[in-house]
Amino acid sequence: MSFGLERIPDQLGYLVISEDGVLASAGELENDEHTAGVIMQMVRTACRFRQHGAAEPPFKRMSGKSDNTHLMTVSGQKVFVVKRQNNHREPVVV
Amino acid sequence: MVIEDVVIVCECDTYVVPQDPDVYKPLIPHPNPDSKPLNSTEWSSASVPSARTDEQALLTSILFKTALNIIDVSAADSQGMEQHEYMDKARQYSTKLALLSNSLSQKKPLPLPSLTSQPHQVLASDLVPYSDVQQVSKIAAYAYSAISQIKVDAKEELVVQFAIP
Repeated sequence: MSFGLERIPDQLGYLVISEDGVLASAGELENDEHTAGVIMQMVRTACRFRQHGAAEPPFKRMSGKSDNTHLMTVSGQKVFVVKRQNNHREPVVV
Repeated sequence: MVIEDVVIVCECDTYVVPQDPDVYKPLIPHPNPDSKPLNSTEWSSASVPSARTDEQALLTSILFKTALNIIDVSAADSQGMEQHEYMDKARQYSTKLALLSNSLSQKKPLPLPSLTSQPHQVLASDLVPYSDVQQVSKIAAYAYSAISQIKVDAKEELVVQFAIP
């Protein structure tokens, strides 16, 4: 199951990770268990953040920015990761 | 970190102290009910001479009460167990601990909270705008620079000599 991640525009790869390990992977993230492990730890840590005693984490998506962008979210006990190209469109300065 | 249990070990008994402080019980039953616990061998009240002063008696009773509440793990005055008794006890403790740690290890790690019910939509949404990333990077750089400039501004000597005439 790819959970529809392959249809995301300009995606370079994806991972679907559960408590037990990698459920699906493709593209530049195919079989990348190391990245999956690192991302799992990051997401676990970030999901502990709370704003002013709120019940839920204060974010829906986490982005790791470098030459490309890793986008991460959690749904139904699974972590979804997609690697996308950065925007090539720079703001036009007039 | 959550501390679930505290184990105090001394020469004669092991006590497991769970979060419920009402439950205090030996891990294994005391094999020799006739032998006294270590902390009371020195304080047998049967041998207090009647010639002691009130002060001495008061001191003795205070020390006795304290000794009852303290478990001495140094075992300086060990009663001495025979080798087979020792091995037997060690085996009993290991078995009991194995039983307890089995039930403890069945705890699962905290489940991840669900951030969305539409992971595809969330991940396909627009990326954070480049200008926003630039701005946040600039703010972070300023903050880093500000923090690195924090220093102590020493005005006076910290150590002074007293002039004693």
